[in-house]
Amino acid sequence: MPKFDAVVIGAGNGGLAAACRLAKAGKKTLLIEQHNLPGGVASSFRRGRFEFETALHELCEFGSAENPGGCRQTIVDEFGLDINWYMVPDNFRVITTARDGSPIDATLPCGRENFVNKMEEYVPGCRKSVEAFFDLGTETLAAGKYMTASGGHPDSKLMQEKYPNFLRTAAYPVNRVLKALKMPDKAQDIMNTYWGYLGVDADHLSFMQYVNMVCLYVNHGAWIPEKTSNQLTTGLLERFRAMGGTAWFNCRAEEILFDAEEHVNGLRTTSGIVDTRYIICNANPSMVYANMVPQNILPDRERKLAAARRYSARMFVVYMGLNKSAEELGLKDYSYFLPQSADSVKEYESLKRIETNKYNIALCYNVVNPKASPEGTCIVSLTTTYMEDCWSEIDPKDYVKTKNKVASDMIDWFEEKTGIIIRPYIEEFEVATPWTFCRYASVPQGAAYGYELRDWDNMMPRMMMVREEYPLKGLRFCGAASIRGDGFNSAIFSGDMMGKLTLAQMKEEGC
Amino acid sequence: MALKVKVGLIGPLDMLKFKKLADVRRRAIEKSEAKPLPKTLVTNEKAKFIHPERQLVRIKEKRQNGPDAVTVVLESKDGKALAPFRAGQYISLSVEVGKTKTTRSYSLCGSPAWAEQGFYNITVKRVEEDGFVSPFIQDRWQVGDEIAISGPQGHLYYEPIRDEKKVLALAGGSGITPFVGMAYAIRDGYEDFDLTILFGSRTEADIVYRKELEELSAACDKIHVVHVLSDEEKPGFEHGFLTAELIRKYAAGEKVSLFMCGPQAMYNFLDGEIARLGYDRKHVRRELFGAIKDPRNQPDYPAGAKGGTFKARIIIHDKEYEIPASANEPLLIAIERAGIAAPSRCRSGECGWCRSRLLSGEVYIPAVTDGRREADKDFGYIHPCSSFPLSDVVLEVPGQYQSK
Repeated sequence: MPKFDAVVIGAGNGGLAAACRLAKAGKKTLLIEQHNLPGGVASSFRRGRFEFETALHELCEFGSAENPGGCRQTIVDEFGLDINWYMVPDNFRVITTARDGSPIDATLPCGRENFVNKMEEYVPGCRKSVEAFFDLGTETLAAGKYMTASGGHPDSKLMQEKYPNFLRTAAYPVNRVLKALKMPDKAQDIMNTYWGYLGVDADHLSFMQYVNMVCLYVNHGAWIPEKTSNQLTTGLLERFRAMGGTAWFNCRAEEILFDAEEHVNGLRTTSGIVDTRYIICNANPSMVYANMVPQNILPDRERKLAAARRYSARMFVVYMGLNKSAEELGLKDYSYFLPQSADSVKEYESLKRIETNKYNIALCYNVVNPKASPEGTCIVSLTTTYMEDCWSEIDPKDYVKTKNKVASDMIDWFEEKTGIIIRPYIEEFEVATPWTFCRYASVPQGAAYGYELRDWDNMMPRMMMVREEYPLKGLRFCGAASIRGDGFNSAIFSGDMMGKLTLAQMKEEGC
Repeated sequence: MALKVKVGLIGPLDMLKFKKLADVRRRAIEKSEAKPLPKTLVTNEKAKFIHPERQLVRIKEKRQNGPDAVTVVLESKDGKALAPFRAGQYISLSVEVGKTKTTRSYSLCGSPAWAEQGFYNITVKRVEEDGFVSPFIQDRWQVGDEIAISGPQGHLYYEPIRDEKKVLALAGGSGITPFVGMAYAIRDGYEDFDLTILFGSRTEADIVYRKELEELSAACDKIHVVHVLSDEEKPGFEHGFLTAELIRKYAAGEKVSLFMCGPQAMYNFLDGEIARLGYDRKHVRRELFGAIKDPRNQPDYPAGAKGGTFKARIIIHDKEYEIPASANEPLLIAIERAGIAAPSRCRSGECGWCRSRLLSGEVYIPAVTDGRREADKDFGYIHPCSSFPLSDVVLEVPGQYQSK
């Protein structure tokens, strides 16, 4: 029977980071993946002369070599990933309707100073409150860094001295804090644009988590790999192998085995049983607990937690290879956020149903990456999410009709909002629905974002409880359904963190 | 000015609120009900139904269709619906001949309505020079036999958002099959477009699906079939190859999308014909190319490469095999001939199912069947179904599992 110090199940961003962390520490590590390539949702596919990025819009927390973010420090500096990256010059363009009914068309550049100046231009008089937002963000980032470094045991007194504003705002949702900052309504509307990236409206989204993400994007810019997410994930896989790791593809985990002390003791896979004491799982905990763990040793707390949570954003993406260049079509911006309304609470409600969902984020990769597709062509993707499991109601007979109707409406919406015509130029066309995400990533309901980061279940309390979160000895989870929620950087962070916690446990247990 | 934010009325309470975040979460979990965890979810089950890893079917019927083709009706074992498909898609079926475990892809040439009733139709043409699979299927498959097939896949289907309302199908021989599926789909209301099939056969006697095509075009005014005979001149038939002139004649000045399915020689010929007509790539779609048969005669074959048989070391998980691999055959064939179960579907370099990691050695990948992702090229991944060895190689191949 093959024996490994640790096994990582699932080669998504989280699993790859966990595997790299363990291998880098010299542990004999096996990474298994049910598909024939790594990445989970972070991959690519080919149609005709195009290669489509499956999921990545903008990698957060990456930054330049001179001003690196935590994600770059982990995957480049520590794990040695060496691939080409492009920086996205603007954070976003948002075209929508403000809560007061007036139109918004705002393009916000990277870098705090540029960003604040632009905000003042769009909403005169908002400068002070936007500066306060970023000051608070800076404090929040520093506090988060300190708390992570303290290994979950921060010193209260030090926190109160150094991060008082963080402590006073961290328990509140975005809208409450923006109001306390006396930010003008329209400025709030624009500042809230990124809410869709976390999948919770601003009444229920943790301010701390949101300000964290916005500041990371604005400070470090957003980045994309030159050759799609497949370059990132296959690249990380190669680094894992170079550090001594073993990877088995088309291999599925079937049952986690435990010893009499209820400690992980092995894993049954479709390629046989593997001997191991430690497993990090880049899959959804509720599904793993239901299908791969003996029910008699599963604490009731895990059943309660699963029942108390809701799955988050279920993804829908339209991928289009166009037979004209971005310049010819008039596509000047990388990302267009096109919600019906800047009121995230209303918008969140509308995303629960197929008929009412109009939200769409449009991307043109060629604006940033001239090599994204052959000369004279470009790639545009349109993304939306569903906040309830409405795709469960679709009859398989109506599936193609339904997905094409949604895609067609999204194209219309894009053309109407931007004034840019793309439909006649579609050379390659593919749609991924929540069912597609079920198929390729086995995520429940197609919810690639994991569990909703709503109210009590946001990242901060999840992180505070990291030591009690996974009670079965030797088994931890990483990825979007883990402690930090969705986002490539968060998945990578969670994998790295679970790798470190596993290493610490190995040391404690003398392994 | 130092920042001092407070959100609640009394600032210090905000801090207390922060400290209690974990307790709030603990209480939310505690007061929830410990229900048994659902083992699966409706959405995921529906996704599995339309995209099954594999389907087990039984041979219901076998009937001759033209002089050298056999149509096989496959039925689901439990009488339930088979996975739905978009007309023009294919299935990949697993075949074991002797110790060789291989796959072949066949277009679904029945109506999508029949899949709902639990049936698929495929048509298998006898291709002696292509080896042993089609004669094996024609001669050895018996009604009642069980076989494993993939879910429907492939991209030669009508896409209303992308394609013109009028499609000109260019079919050669058994390349008619996806278009028969499309014709049924139009007749039965699953697709809505105008389909004109230019169907090339050698002689009138060689025409497959003749009766069905006549019935379909009689039943529905959106379906038109034009028979083109290369080896015979007869009234009522076009004569010669599928040419630019024929395409121009039947496009009749309208905007059309061209769909092609047939042998490689037909694709190579039509590429030139279509280029003369000035169609852009948006309007030209082609079925799988198939594996290149004569790698050494390809224009991009490396000069000076020596032929012969090389040693290939194949690694699958914790197992290793050493096998011979001919320069004239894709590596996948060598693996299958050695009795090793390896994944494959399209066998044309396109679908990536066989994606494997080349640890050492050199291979030749014909440009026309190089469907790899860009980063995969950098990191040394190849599709063994379209890669020919130029030296001894070491190849890490993904396994193949059958889930419970």
